[in-house]
Amino acid sequence: MIGGVARRSIVRGGLIGGVAAIYVALVGLYTKFADLELVGEQVTLGRVLIVAPALVAAYAVTRPRIVAGERRPVAFGPGVAAGAQTGAVTGAAFAAAVWFAYWFGIDRIREIFVSVTEPLIEFLTFGQGVPAGLPLLVGASVVGGAVGGFARTAPARVRDPVSIGVVAVLLLGLLQRIVPIVFVELGFEARWLYRSGSGLTLLGAALIFVVAAGASVAWDRGGERARDRVRKTVETAPAARLGLLVGILATLFVLPLLFGSVISEVLSQVMVYVLLGIGLNIVVGYAGLLDLGYVAFFAFGAYSTAVLTGAFLNTTTGAAEPALSADLNFYVAVWLVALLAAGVGLLIGAPVLRLRGDYLAIVTLGLGEIVSVITASRWAQPLIGGPQGMRGVTKAQIGGFNPQDHPQQFYYLALAFVLLALFVSWRLASSRIGRAWNAMREDEQVADAMGISIIKFKLLAFAMGGAIGSLGGALFAVNLGSLTPASFEILVSITALAVVILGGLGSLPGVVVGALVLIGLPGLLREFEEYRLLIYGGALVAIMVLRPQGLIPNVRRSRELEQEEVTQDAWAKEVTGEAEAIAAVVPGGTLGVEPEDLE
Amino acid sequence: MRKRRYFALFAVSAALSLVAAACGEDEGGGETGATGGVETGTTGGAVDCTADPFGCVEIAAGDPIQLASLLAISGDVAFLGTDSNNGIILAIDNLDGSLDAVPGQLLGHDVTLQQEDDLCSAEGGSSGATALAANPDIVAVIGTSCSSAALGVADTILGDKGILLFSPSNTNPGLTSEEAHQDFYARTAHNDKIQGAIAAEFVYNELGITTAATINDESPYADGLATAFRDNFEALGGTITLVEQVNSADTDLGPVLTSIAEGEPGIVYGPNFPPVCGLTFLQGADILPEGTVHMGADGCLESSFIPQVGDAPGSYYASSPDVTVFQGGAYYSDTFIPAYEDQFGTEPTSVFHAHAFDAANVLFDAIEAVAVDDGSGNLTIARTALKDAVFATTGYEGMTGIITCTPLGDCATDVTIGIFEYPNWPVEGGTKPTDAIYVDTKTLADVL
Amino acid sequence: MGTVTEEQVRGAQLGRLERLPWRRVILIVLSVLIVSIVTIGAYKTLTLPADARYSAAAWRDFIVLGLAQGSIYALIALGYTLVYGILRMINFAHGEVFMFGAFAAFFFSDAFEASGFLDSNSVSSMAILLVVAMLTSMGVAVLLERIAYRPLRNAPRLVPLITAIGASLFLQNTARGFFGAQSKGFGVPTALEGTWTIFGLTLERTQVVVFVTVIIAVAGLSLFIARTTTGKSMRAVAADSEIASLMGIHVDRVIVTTFAIGGLLAGVAAVLFSITFQSVNFSMGFRPGIAAFTAAVLGGIGSISGAALGGITIGLMQSLGPALILTGYNVPSPFQLKDAFTFLVLVLVLIFRPGGLLGSGEAEKV
Repeated sequence: MIGGVARRSIVRGGLIGGVAAIYVALVGLYTKFADLELVGEQVTLGRVLIVAPALVAAYAVTRPRIVAGERRPVAFGPGVAAGAQTGAVTGAAFAAAVWFAYWFGIDRIREIFVSVTEPLIEFLTFGQGVPAGLPLLVGASVVGGAVGGFARTAPARVRDPVSIGVVAVLLLGLLQRIVPIVFVELGFEARWLYRSGSGLTLLGAALIFVVAAGASVAWDRGGERARDRVRKTVETAPAARLGLLVGILATLFVLPLLFGSVISEVLSQVMVYVLLGIGLNIVVGYAGLLDLGYVAFFAFGAYSTAVLTGAFLNTTTGAAEPALSADLNFYVAVWLVALLAAGVGLLIGAPVLRLRGDYLAIVTLGLGEIVSVITASRWAQPLIGGPQGMRGVTKAQIGGFNPQDHPQQFYYLALAFVLLALFVSWRLASSRIGRAWNAMREDEQVADAMGISIIKFKLLAFAMGGAIGSLGGALFAVNLGSLTPASFEILVSITALAVVILGGLGSLPGVVVGALVLIGLPGLLREFEEYRLLIYGGALVAIMVLRPQGLIPNVRRSRELEQEEVTQDAWAKEVTGEAEAIAAVVPGGTLGVEPEDLE
Repeated sequence: MRKRRYFALFAVSAALSLVAAACGEDEGGGETGATGGVETGTTGGAVDCTADPFGCVEIAAGDPIQLASLLAISGDVAFLGTDSNNGIILAIDNLDGSLDAVPGQLLGHDVTLQQEDDLCSAEGGSSGATALAANPDIVAVIGTSCSSAALGVADTILGDKGILLFSPSNTNPGLTSEEAHQDFYARTAHNDKIQGAIAAEFVYNELGITTAATINDESPYADGLATAFRDNFEALGGTITLVEQVNSADTDLGPVLTSIAEGEPGIVYGPNFPPVCGLTFLQGADILPEGTVHMGADGCLESSFIPQVGDAPGSYYASSPDVTVFQGGAYYSDTFIPAYEDQFGTEPTSVFHAHAFDAANVLFDAIEAVAVDDGSGNLTIARTALKDAVFATTGYEGMTGIITCTPLGDCATDVTIGIFEYPNWPVEGGTKPTDAIYVDTKTLADVL
Repeated sequence: MGTVTEEQVRGAQLGRLERLPWRRVILIVLSVLIVSIVTIGAYKTLTLPADARYSAAAWRDFIVLGLAQGSIYALIALGYTLVYGILRMINFAHGEVFMFGAFAAFFFSDAFEASGFLDSNSVSSMAILLVVAMLTSMGVAVLLERIAYRPLRNAPRLVPLITAIGASLFLQNTARGFFGAQSKGFGVPTALEGTWTIFGLTLERTQVVVFVTVIIAVAGLSLFIARTTTGKSMRAVAADSEIASLMGIHVDRVIVTTFAIGGLLAGVAAVLFSITFQSVNFSMGFRPGIAAFTAAVLGGIGSISGAALGGITIGLMQSLGPALILTGYNVPSPFQLKDAFTFLVLVLVLIFRPGGLLGSGEAEKV
């Protein structure tokens, strides 16, 4: 035991950290980010990643344990020591792997793991080569572990400001491509803060650290009472609520002016997914219909907007007219698109009325794939352009307002649609329709017995969800002006679902937060594009294991999720005749298990 | 105080964009400035920046000339963008007259390259172009890699700000068509109509094959090339037995190939990307009639094809721009390639580094021509003038051929396409000698 | 006065139109429509002018190719169906389990090819490849269960589904980071190149290997489930895991075993897939994965014979669908639409039989 942390735990945590570090090396993160300077010339993302596994392992190892019903946190000094020990184990494991790779032959390993190269070994040994640099690697891990232990066990008033300060510095270091542009667009000099084309200056980093840490201290100190007071006012006084709402709206309107065109562009992409999320939230969150093929509405919205506003098909000779074409103004066409999409929703909903749960998921997935395939097909080419796609989605201009040329103006357009969708969705949730959906979601048979027409409300869910989703597609088309089938693949459905789930099923603020995290962050941090899907996958797994109700849960929905499974299982047993099916595999056999069989 | 600043900024950009919108729509093809050759730089004069609808770029003494690239540097086509970036880096190196890994200077200023990712998609082109358009110090952008990132997206976003987009590898014909061309877009890559035509002639005349089937994947690149091939092949008198399409993620090409085999085509033309081209070849061996030839294009002329196909039997040809054929030939193989290998540690992974090199050099010449030095090292470059200078390039001897820019942006007017036979491919892993077995030069006017 | 039935009461209150059994009417109209479209399409394909028609050899090829592909789907589908039977969850990441097995086999195959061992000792090298793939896939499957699914054993169903999707993305991109984005060519031993003629039918040797292996695997699995203790435990846990644990069955172990068996089968499928299509890359598990769980659902998920039947059906649909039906309607490039066709078939089957082909076929009584 080292100050309350068992040696076994240290070794185990350390080894897992070592495996994680090896994973990071094999997957190529070190190679890619070795030179990404965050602060000055020495603090690169690669170096941060070297200490990261040890840090996280130590943080986990020094967590408070429950001993005999009592929650016992680890003391500070011993905590740091335990963290350092964990770091040592991680470093040792990692160094051993590096040494092994060197001894076995880098070239031979590279035949399988393409990221294992000479430069990688150079980097991991801090330029000193294999035997000499390994202690440095272990040392770095020890330091990382100690920091991890510190982060967990230090007294809160020291730990919080330091952590927030460090995180702020790292974050702003990562945003080195965005923030300077924002400064420039606002007319400020950025050179004292960021080195040209590179990371933060030392001065800038120090400044950020002080500001962030200071803000944290101020928040903690003066905050408690003020926070309680604010919360109470918001919850009770309606005038305060209105004020809050107005304040939020005002902030949203001012945002593009503050943040410039690059961030507006990213926010616009976020808005498109917020729309998709709101629509999918109606289908999955309110009505409880698991839809994995939402890309169908997205594609329909985009392409029908293009066709209705007079876009052209791309051909090798230039352009061609689609088989059907209209020259409507976007602001007229978009309502037609939503109406048609509602019709498509009915078409999609009709065949799946009787299906539940996983079956519904698979079928909707299939329907989404059908649309995906059709967008690229030569069969539909005369209408929507096939592989070459369409371009020239225009007609969104009103006088001087030209959202297609200005990211800031487009952001306002998108914001308008999002606010509309939010309003509609919110009203639906608390209306008779919403209550019918609740009933249907909780127990379909009882709801039907009470006179709620299941058919009507399921179809309505698909129709509304489809209409809102198609708005997302329409905005997308107007934003890009050019459509190719590559934008309409299954990944869109998966991302939309992830946005809704991450935010919290049935929760509208959750959809916005989910979109900001899943679309906004990768949009800002484009260096990570290559690893975006890897991070998505890992994040999804992590969230589901750690906090499945989402970031901003809808309480009612979370409670219901449990019940739903019982009803679906019963349905599945009945409909699929599982008993018979399994028995069918075993000629003449039964499902009964005789006690003798268990011997 | 602050609010006034915001308003001023907003008003100015709104005014500019209104002017841009008004001006941008009506112009036909680009203006042609002075004809023939390139003028030397002017010093000591003043540039009238207010007359230029897109203003000027100001570069103070001691500051670098900022170029940017918008190329596919991540994902499965990363080999394409990285390779082009390398070409630009070598061009910057060459500013001091030699490829010695020491960057040279242009007009006394360093040249920096900000590398953005076009993600080989419209979304990537849009966000990358927006990021670059927001930076007033960027003089010009070399990009994109994938046509889908440029067409209607990056070319419009950058063109609306008067930033030149000069592509080293967009080959989609639509980009330089009457209807779609943007004023500030040009390319040193060939127009795929030429590649399709030369491929068709090779098949019909050289190989003597008169029936063909085409397979393309869902990318605009493959579809455009296949269409160009078909149009020219039929015009020569050939017969297209079947037109089929697959998904780039497909692995089971058996049924498609069976259907194609029915028509007994002499050749299957599949201008796709790996792994589909390799799969067509490998799976076709068992299904297609004996002796059926396969052909792809520069998408397949790539190092991953070689380990995938190995030494499988059959004939596979691929067309690609041939850079070894020029007066630049000896320079290319004796100086350029060794420098490339030296600085980047591998052989080139595609052919478009040469086009990127040429684009950068044409750009440097244009900058030299129009940049005005006020005498103390501060440069002013008028955007429209820069664009005009590039479009005025005539008879420039580049590594890829003679570069003469047309008003619609095709700078590779005389395009030489070489046909290579597997395994003698001019990429990493190819078996030497890697010369083309057939070479032809055409201009856009020669093809359909 | 006799008893008044509910129908009579309702009938008296409703107009004539509402009394029509709408659902049945729609189903009948739909089935007539489908049958006529299919028959007309098939007829038109078969009566195309002689030069445009498919030859008998082509039809034979379509069917054989479809069966070969379908058998591989069936093997993968077995993994899905086993896990679903036990845990009521669709393991989205099963395609990646398959993919890792293929990569493991590839690295060995590559080494064997370089040293000539592949051609000189074809049987042993194939055996080694199979073992390697099976062990790797099994390992990945077990690891997946341990890390991603076991913590969520009691969570609402949506949660493991999302986790599985996340795991699928994560594993795919891990493979991409480890092994690179480019496809690798998988060498086929010379002994398996060429054809064999069996009962007058000429088949590719690899196809014969696929058929034989799949038949053995399905039969073996069925026997295993029926006869062995583990198999019976699996059936028991599938029927009711609470009662099974009360009966003394170690549920956790059974679940791990199920994943392991699914992984084994996926490993076999991986080798078969690789020698048939001769290409290995990080995303190779994604589409076959979707096709396989479509097959499992189509056949009636939870049922082994359903998975096998579903797999064969999907395989055939992907080749015969465009060939037989779409060609007749002069759809350009019909084979590009094969996935759309397959999913359409799935939708239609589930409209008529919501439990899948081998399900009971009854909708719940409302």
